[in-house]
This record gives sequence, C-alpha cells and structure tokens, in this order.
Amino acid sequence: FLHDDLKEMLDSNKDSLKLEAMKRIVAMIARGKNASDLFPAVVKNVACKNIEVKKLVYVYLVRYAEEQQDLALLSISTFQRGLKDPNQLIRASALRVLSSIRVTIIVPIMMLAIKEAASDMSPYVRKTAAHAIPKLYSLDPEQKDQLIEVIEKLLADKTTLVAGSVVMAFEEVCPERIDLIHKNYRKLCNLLIDVEEWGQVVIINMLTRYARTQFLNPNMNESLLEEGNDKTFYGSDDDEDEEEEEEKKSEAPMPKRKPYVMDPDHRLLLRNTKPLLQSRNAAVVMAVAQLYFHLAPKVEVGVIAKALVRLLRSHSEVQYVVLQNVASMTIKRRGMFEPYLKSFYIRSTDPTQIKVLKLEVLTNLANETNISTILREFQTYIKSMDKDFVAATIQAIGRCATNIGEVRDTCLNGLVQLLSNRDELVVAESVVVIKKLLQMQPEKHSDIIKHMAKLTDNIQVPMARASILWLIGEYCEHVPKIAPDVLRKMAKSFTNEEDIVKLQIINLAAKTCVYSSIGKYLNQDYKYVLNLAKYDQNYDIRDRARFIRQLIVPTEKSGALSKYAKKLFLALKPAPVLESPFKDRDHFQLGSLSHLLNAKAGGYQELPDWPEAAPDPSVRNVEVKDSVPEWTKCSSREKRKEKKVEKPFYSDSEGESGPTESADSESDSASGSEIGSGVVGSVSGTASEESEEGSESEEEEEEEEEDEKDKKMTMKKELKKPVQENPREDDMRLTLSSLFPVEPAPSPQVTPLNSFLSNSLATDLEGLSLSDAVLSPATLSPCSALKSYELLHRIRGEGLSVEYCFSRQPFSPDANMVAVQMQFTNNATSETKNLHMEEVKLQSGMRVKEFPEIELLPAGETATAVMGIDFCDSTQAANFQLCTHTRKFFVSIQPPVGELMRPVFLTENEFKKEQGERF
Amino acid sequence: MISQVFILSSQGDHLIYKDFRGEAGSDVVSVFYEKVTALTGDQPPVVMSHGDLHFVHVRQGGLYWVATTTSPGSSPFTIIEFLNRFSALVKDYCGSLSEKSVQMNFALIYELLDEVVDYGYIQTTSSDVLKNFIQTEAVSSKPFSLFDLSNVGFFGAETQQSKVAPSSAASRPIQSSREQGGRSEIFLDVIERMSVVIGSKGVVLKADVEGEVRVKCFMPSCSEMRIGLNEEFSIGKSQLRGYGAAVRVDECRFHQNVHLDEFHSNRVLRLCPSQGEQTVMQYQLSDDLPSAPPFRLFPTIERDSGGRLLMYLKLRCDLPSKSAAINVCATIPVPKGSVSLSQELSSPDQSAELKLQNRAIDWKIPRFIGGTQLSALFKLEVSGLSPSSLMEVGPVVLVFELPQLTVSGLQIRFLRLSPVQPAPSQRWIRYVTHSDSYILRL
Repeated sequence: FLHDDLKEMLDSNKDSLKLEAMKRIVAMIARGKNASDLFPAVVKNVACKNIEVKKLVYVYLVRYAEEQQDLALLSISTFQRGLKDPNQLIRASALRVLSSIRVTIIVPIMMLAIKEAASDMSPYVRKTAAHAIPKLYSLDPEQKDQLIEVIEKLLADKTTLVAGSVVMAFEEVCPERIDLIHKNYRKLCNLLIDVEEWGQVVIINMLTRYARTQFLNPNMNESLLEEGNDKTFYGSDDDEDEEEEEEKKSEAPMPKRKPYVMDPDHRLLLRNTKPLLQSRNAAVVMAVAQLYFHLAPKVEVGVIAKALVRLLRSHSEVQYVVLQNVASMTIKRRGMFEPYLKSFYIRSTDPTQIKVLKLEVLTNLANETNISTILREFQTYIKSMDKDFVAATIQAIGRCATNIGEVRDTCLNGLVQLLSNRDELVVAESVVVIKKLLQMQPEKHSDIIKHMAKLTDNIQVPMARASILWLIGEYCEHVPKIAPDVLRKMAKSFTNEEDIVKLQIINLAAKTCVYSSIGKYLNQDYKYVLNLAKYDQNYDIRDRARFIRQLIVPTEKSGALSKYAKKLFLALKPAPVLESPFKDRDHFQLGSLSHLLNAKAGGYQELPDWPEAAPDPSVRNVEVKDSVPEWTKCSSREKRKEKKVEKPFYSDSEGESGPTESADSESDSASGSEIGSGVVGSVSGTASEESEEGSESEEEEEEEEEDEKDKKMTMKKELKKPVQENPREDDMRLTLSSLFPVEPAPSPQVTPLNSFLSNSLATDLEGLSLSDAVLSPATLSPCSALKSYELLHRIRGEGLSVEYCFSRQPFSPDANMVAVQMQFTNNATSETKNLHMEEVKLQSGMRVKEFPEIELLPAGETATAVMGIDFCDSTQAANFQLCTHTRKFFVSIQPPVGELMRPVFLTENEFKKEQGERF
Repeated sequence: MISQVFILSSQGDHLIYKDFRGEAGSDVVSVFYEKVTALTGDQPPVVMSHGDLHFVHVRQGGLYWVATTTSPGSSPFTIIEFLNRFSALVKDYCGSLSEKSVQMNFALIYELLDEVVDYGYIQTTSSDVLKNFIQTEAVSSKPFSLFDLSNVGFFGAETQQSKVAPSSAASRPIQSSREQGGRSEIFLDVIERMSVVIGSKGVVLKADVEGEVRVKCFMPSCSEMRIGLNEEFSIGKSQLRGYGAAVRVDECRFHQNVHLDEFHSNRVLRLCPSQGEQTVMQYQLSDDLPSAPPFRLFPTIERDSGGRLLMYLKLRCDLPSKSAAINVCATIPVPKGSVSLSQELSSPDQSAELKLQNRAIDWKIPRFIGGTQLSALFKLEVSGLSPSSLMEVGPVVLVFELPQLTVSGLQIRFLRLSPVQPAPSQRWIRYVTHSDSYILRL
C-alpha cells in the first residue's frame, strides 16, 4: 500500500512530489528491497524535465530493465532522442543509461549508438562510448569484431579523457590483440601523465604486459652472481640466459662492448612513468612500482623504494597490501629497501597483521651489518602484549639466526633466556624455534637440551612438548642419562597427551631403545608405551606402534630390517631451512590480486616472459595521417610530431641518469645540458644525446653561419632523390641533420625551409619516423612535446577558436620575450576580419609585442601568428582582448612552469663550467 | 574492475547495495558479514575470498565499505584506494560519516556511486568533476549554524567574531554552501602525528613527526588562496639553518593543484581549492626534532617486603608552560598474575585503573600543563611474584593530544583569498598534534 502511495506521487504534476517518491524508491533499492512493481509508474517519468528526478529514474531503470524488458523498451526512444541532444552531458548520460539496459533486443541500437558516439566531437561522449563497449560485449559477445573496430578507432584518439577508458575496454574485450597497441604505444606513453588517475592504473598495467612481449630483458647481461644468490630477474635457467647473452653479443654491431641496448620505446615507458611515483593515488604508485620491478634494469629499480615506503603512512589497508608487495621485493632485491630499514620498525598502534608483515620485511632485510640493530628491536617486541606478534617475533629471530651464522649463538642464548619467561606461549614458541636451531649443531648444546628436558614438567603446549621430546630422542647420545628419565615420566602421562605428543613419545622410546640397546632395563618403559599405543584411539598412533615394534623387537619374520634399526632411527637428518613465506611469490605480477592471495585466482593472466629476440620495433612507428598542408600552415601541430624526435635520441640509454629526468621540472637547470645543439630550445636535454651528438653538432654550429644557399641546394638535391627507397633510419638521420644545420629560426612561422618541402617529401620523411627537427630546426626537444593551450573556445568565440603554444624559439624582435604561437581557426560559416589585439592588461614590468593584424580569415581556414610576451620571469597571466571586426573576447595567457626560457649560446667550455656548478 | 559495492553498518545492516555487473547475487552481503564477524583477530584481512568472488573492504566511520570483484588481474590497490576515496567523497557530500548520515542520504550516495563507477570501472573521483553532475541535495542530520552554539560554554563569546569554532563546524555537506551564499568558510588544519621511542636510559631512540596541512573549503566559487608558512621553513638536511628557530622538515609533498612559484622565495603556497576536503601538503621529519619530546618518564620499580610490586612513576611534561596536553593516557603493562592495585596520585583529577584483561594499568590525566611533573605510586598485588616479574613490566605507551601546537614548529603566517571575496568569508586555522605511537621503554 505504501507503493500505491508512491505511484500516486509519481503520477502527480509536481516535481517535488515526484522527487520525493523517487528518493524513497531509490532508498529501497539501496537497501536491497524489491521495487520492481513500480516499473510502469517510474518509466513514465523518464522524459521528466527535472534533471534531479530524471537521474533517479535512470538509476531505477538500470536496476530493473533486465527484469521488465517489454516495459523498458518504452524508454528507449527517449534515450535515442537524448543521443542527439546538443548538450554533451545529456548525450553522454543517454548513452550511458542506454548501454546499461541489459536487454538483448536493443543490441543493434546500442551498437549504432556506440559507433556514432565514438566519432562525437565531445571527448566526454567518446569516453562514455568507450565505457559502453564492455557492457555491450558482455551482453552479446558476438559483436566482438565490430567492437574491436570501435576500440581501434578510439585508441587512436588523442585526448587524455578517452585514453584511460578505451584501454579499459581493450583489456576487457580483446586483451589478446596486442597489435592494436603498437601504433598507439608512444602516444599512450606520452599522454600518460595527463590521463585521469584511474585510467593511469589501467594503462600502466596494460603497458607492462605489452613491454614484456615487445622488448628484451634489460637485465639479461647483468653478471648473474652479482647480488648473492640473486639470479636473473625472472628465474629462467642460467643456461638459457647465457645463450641469449652470447647470441646477443655476436649480433650486436656496437663498436663499444655494449651487448644490450634498450629499445628507445622501452626507455620512453620507464621515463614517462617515473614521475607518477609522486602521485597521491596509491594505486598509481603501486602500478608504477610493479612496472619498474618487472621492466626496469636492476640499477634503476631502486627509485620505487622511496615511493613505496611513503605509502606506508597511508591507511592500514593500504599498508597491508604495500607490505605484502615489499616483502616479495625484499627477497629479490634486498639492497633496495635497506636504507629504509627504520620505516619498517613496528609501532605499538599497528594491527597484528601489519606487525607480522613488517617483521617479515625486517627479517628479509637482515644482514651482517644491521643484524644487531634488528635483534635489539626484536627484543623489545617480545615484551609486547600481542601474543601472536610475540610468537612471530620469536620465529623471526630464529630465521635471522639461521640465515646469518655470526649471530646464531647470540640468538640461541636469547631464546634460551625466553624459556624462563612466564608466558607459556612465549616459551612454547621458543622451544619450537630452538629445536630448529639446535638441529644445525647439536653437539655443542647438550646443556640446552638438558634445560629443555626440565621444561616438560611445566609446558603444556603440545607442539612445544613434542619438539622437546623429539630433540631428546634425536640427540639422546648427548644426554644419555636424561633420555630414559624423561621417557619414564612421559610413559606415565601417555594417555593424557595430545596425539602429536604421543607420536613423539613413541619416537623417543624407540630411539632410546635403539641407542642403548645394551641396557635391557629400558625395556619395561618401552613395552609399556607400545602397549598403551596399541590400544590408542587414533589409528596413526596404533600404526606407528606396530611399525616400531617390528623394527625394534626382532622376531623371526622381521629379522632383516631390525639390523638396520639404528641406521633408520639415528640417521643424520638435514637441518631445516627457515624460509620466507614470500619466497616464490614474485612469479605473480606484483600488485595483483593473485599475488596478494598467493594463489592463482581464476582467470589470472600470467605476465609473459621476455621474448628471446626483440620483435620488430618499427611496428610502433606512426604515420601521421594529418594532411601535410594543414600542418605547414599551423605549426602548433608540431607538437605531435615532435615526439618522434625522441626515437633516435634514446638509443643510448645506458649512460642516462637522474639529472636528465628531473630536468623536466626544473626549467633552468636543464638549460646547461644542451650545449651541443647551440640553441637551447627545450627543457629536457638528455646526457646521452649530448654524448652521441656532441661532436656532430659542434660542426653544425660552425656551419651555422654559412650561407643558406648551400643548404637550399642540398635540400633540392634531397628532394630530387627518390626517398621511397627507405634508406636506413640511422643513416637518414645523420645525413639530414648535417644537411640542415641548426639555426636560430627568426620566426616559427613558415620558414624558408618548410616552403621547400613538397608534400611527398614531407610524408615520406614522416613515414621514416623522422622528426621535424629538420623542419623547425630550433626545436630540438627530445622528450617533451609542445603543448598547446586553448585561448578561445570555438563556442565562446562564436566559431573562432584560438589555440596557443610556446614554440620555444627565440622571439626575434625582442630577445627577452617569449614567443607565443597562436593558431586561429575559423569554424564559422562566415569570414572573420581584422583579427587583432586590444587593451592589454599586464602586471608591472611585463611587456607584450602584439601579433600583426590578420586581415581576413575565411570560413574553415586556419592561420597562425606569433606574439611575444615578456613575463618578467613570473607566471602572471597576460590579459588582453582579442578583437574581430564584430566582437571582442577577453582572453588571457598564463605561462605554465617550464615554458619561460630563452635561448643561450654557450661554448663547450662555458657549458661544462655551468654544468659543474649546477650538478 | 568492481562487481558490486556495498556499505554495511557495524551491526551488519545493509545500508547501500549496488551491483554493477550482475556477476553475483545480493546474498553475498550476508556472506561477507559472516566472514568478517567470524574472525577473531583484531583486524580481518583486507581481501577475503568466497569462491570466485573476492571481497575487498575498508573500515571508515564505523562502517564497512566493501567492493567485490571477480577479476583476479585487477589490482587490489585500485579497489582499496577507490573505497577510501569514495568514503571521502561521501563524507564531503554528506558532511560526516556515520550510519545515520548514510541512511539519510541514500539517493545522494546512489547518485554519487552512479557517477563514480560505470559498469565496474572507476570513472572519476574528483569532486571538481562530480559537482557538475550531482543534483541531489544532502540532508544533514542536524542543520548546522555557527550561531547555534547552545552547547558551547568554553568556546568563547557567541558573536560572529568568535575566535574559535567548534570542532564539528567543518562536518557539514559541501553542497549546502550553494544556497546559503553568504557563508563561505575555509577550515585549515595543521595536524601532526608523533611517533617516539624513548629508551630505558632516557635516550631518544626514534622520533618521527608526520604532518599534513589540510584544507576544507566551503567556497561556492573557487578563488585563489594563498597560505603563508613560516619564512624559515626549510626542506631537507643540506640547507643551512640560521640562528633563529628554523622549521625544518625532511620531506615535503604537495597536492597537485598547489602552485609553488612563490614557495621558494616567500614560502607561500598558492592554490585554488576545490570544494570539500583535501590535503594540501604532507611533510615528515625524522630523528632531529626541534624541541625535546614532550614527555619523559622516570620510573622506579621494586618489590616491597610484603611481596607487592611497587611502581613509582614520575611523568614530566616538557612543553612550554603556555601549552598543555589533553587526554593523556599512559598504559603500563603489568606482570602476569596481577590481582589488585592501590594507588597514590599527585592530583585529584587523575585516575588509574587496572585492566585485567589487558594486563595493564591505565593512568589517565585529563589535562597536563607544560613544565609540570606528575607522579603516581602504584602498589600491585601480584600472585606468585618472582624476580622475573619485574622484567614483564613492559614499555609504557602514551596517548595524548596537543592542541594549538605543532611539534615541528610549522605555523601558518596568513591565509588570504584573492581576489577578496565579496561576501564575508571566514577562515579558521587549527593546530593539533596527536601521538601516533609514543613509547617509553622501561
């Protein structure tokens, strides 16, 4: 009857009543109550104008559509209308709900909607389309092929909003189609830092898998014995590795002895993920950490330790998972976490499971140098009130003692002292651990065994009793007088003991009997015990008694074996090895659920092994599809192509180290490192680049002043030459870079060089994955792309859209100014006239050089212009009005950190001097 | 990817249940609750399995926040982080986290969940993005008003210029600021947590401080905020320390929205805070504290002739005399077999109690003024007292709170909004230091 009341409210005209009703219905759903009988009443409101009501109706619809398919179909037309709405939010939400309605009959409609949305101009809608793909796939797996086409299309999308979502869809629908990633690999790497954080996690995980199939193991040449018993990264056989190594050596054409060269794309991935270790999202940090652990050369893995240790200050749930992973890593890479030993000390407020994991890590980290500190720390832990933790600590001490010979006696003494502890659990745990330690060198410690024999009177914990009895039996030769006494006592209490203790009593009886086979006086106790055992309730015990009787009491039938009784019982037994429970866990991908559970959860995808030989790296080369005329006009597009500059520069990755990577963030410190190229146009020069290109570019510098004619001549020659031959990339790069020496381009607008390039040459050059360093010589920025920013959006600007980027080139009219390159696009149907700037508002000290007025911008055309701004080294925005013949727009340009730079000429010596000061 | 999300009260009531992928029925909720309650340990494992289904849960605000997943490749981290973020979002939107606030805001939380997760994939958890989508208004359990401070005696005069806001002031939904346009407020907390270990001879073995600067913003429109820290603030060990009381931290991290361009010169953080709560800066300082640790213990432990254990404890507070520690509680482990306790305490407001199940004495001091010293004499009746019993008197754990004080010395010089808000805005700054783990070994 409550529902009648709700129906009435839903049918009313007042939005407030509808809203109230919907809220109550949603509350019912939230609590898991059934509200399906309201479906007809609710579905009517799907077209409600009130957005609040509408959203709640959507919630309801998604929940119940599957149950009430026929009625649900009534709502479809509303969504189809929504898909055409001019508002992107409505389009996206219509698609989201439509794709969430799990009704098979609408599969074709969904497919169509997804396809359309995938080419929507709003990235938000495209993102929603990507999210809809797995939903449709689970509803109808037969659509897979069509969906893969959509995924392929969306993978090529260049917005960060879409990237994460489409990779999620890729991972769910077609993770096996790794070939779809090739063309997008570099783009994904470069976009990664700007992708939404949850998307980052998915992309990083996918790229980890990708890299494992496409690149070579960076550690394959490391000397296998370098780090103790630390073998190769992935536990493959030594032989295999050596073979690989040899193969590699014979193949390697390198003049220096560098058998392994990291693929530049591999380096790109490592470089671009590293900054994400600073992310405030623990999931991202962990994803990068596992990527480094699985992909990076040994020497570089260390960087993740700090980030992981930082995660230890997070919620206890996060700590728990981090420690699990750290425990696995410490086994393979102890050195990495040694500096952070103190971070793993236990706090009184930690929950037990965290404490136990920290103990595990501390134990793994223990070595000769730090063991005394660790043991002192352990000592205080034993006083803790948390018994499970104390037990774990005692076991940890035992493990340290077995692993590190020097402290074995100290540990043993400490443990023996614990035997007089008043807490039985502590004593019991110590007994068990001492037993294991004594097995290593029993002859030295007969007094300890005697001491433990006395404990049998008091200790009640079965495991401890059993351990003591086993010790006495095993080493009865060291305590010949005590063993029979203990046996006598035990025989008395036999019936009341636990099963494991009973078994050990039988064992003790047999061993003493065998040892002192001369002394017949034992026989009484021994027979008594065996007789008791014969009628025990437990059949294991009866079995054991029967077995031992046959061995020890010789009868006619069993004569043969009893001769060997002594050898059987008192054989030398190997000492136990105390191992970490995390020993073999790292064959699971770190950070995965399977690793956490230490079990292969159903459907777990193993991380593939490194390939023996690298697959063809050229599959990742991208052919730029944008038509050439477009980019010759709008050089802001340089940004994209410039990424390809990276390729040749990366090839020498070994010598690269910290400073180059950190250079991204500190704009000025980097300026020293690029002397070679003469013009410092980029934020991030790499050391490797310098070493490789150093000599070459010096020549360039000399050439620089030479006449341009020469250059043009060679250009022409180049043009005539049929480039289709596809000469080897490297050669090509060399010839080209010497052909087009670096020059300080006066303006980034169409340079004389560019005008020479015919379309065909340009496309061919791109096909070779060559950089446009050739085309805009001053921008030799290997690893950071020019980012363009929106100055005026198409909608706000009534058809006129303006983007700007910092072209990183000298601004010729005034050296103190930063060149800002603006790209005007007229998307309107009519032409725009007299584009110019007005009313520049600046902070004191700042200056602006306006761009020349653009007289006419026909509809659909694009134009570029350059203006200069002197920001006075501040990041204050420059505000001005952008005027057309009809309208004025208020706009502002704010320089991001790292874009304020100017070219500096340095000689090599000056550079070295600078470098010395800075680093 | 996430299969289901549900929120349970600590009694196991279903508060929120949402299934994203239809991979498991709703009966798993009770399965989960049985699993959680069946375990005796102090904390159930973060991940639990039930057949192919894996439960990942966190506890926040006395509620279980649970997500289930069937895909083993997904990282548990993502889910844990998501649950933490989601509970933070709910807190932002509902004002506070409790069973009641969740119950009153079913629709809102459902809507949030709908925007945050799509078919098990996390879309976004940024409150800046979400505010464009979320329509439902939060229902506060008690409409909060600064003027409605009937129960605040010692918080000062009840005028608008009141210097102190009640600590509950910041627990209200972020959205309500939309309507009540006049009341824009910013709360800034500097919270530090100390973990200290002092050895038996009074040597400081370890002293760490973790701190964070947290902003909770109720500004309808985001304007730029400038936070000035101490001018002598320095990061890392290498930098020279002046003669003055420099504030030094080892490591410092900032929220990604913080602009640091003025930080190097003036120690000013610039940011445009988004609505809700965020941690602007986290820092940490180890071993080299600018001042002595706030508490020292001088114990004397002996057996008296009557077979009792005598513990004479002197606890000294080394804070400046203007400050005080509140809610101090010392937990002193006692030997096994302790039966009863008689006590002599130096002032009447203290109390001490023998907790037999924990085998410890809890010595409570409600207010401990800096520079003073308190003493306590505990006589313990221990059955079967032996010399080794003395060894069992374990390390003393102190729990306390230091209001209006930061151990690192970090201060907020100013908190400015620019451009100046048209409506009066209120800015509240609070300092507090908590004990994370303060251990005095005997």
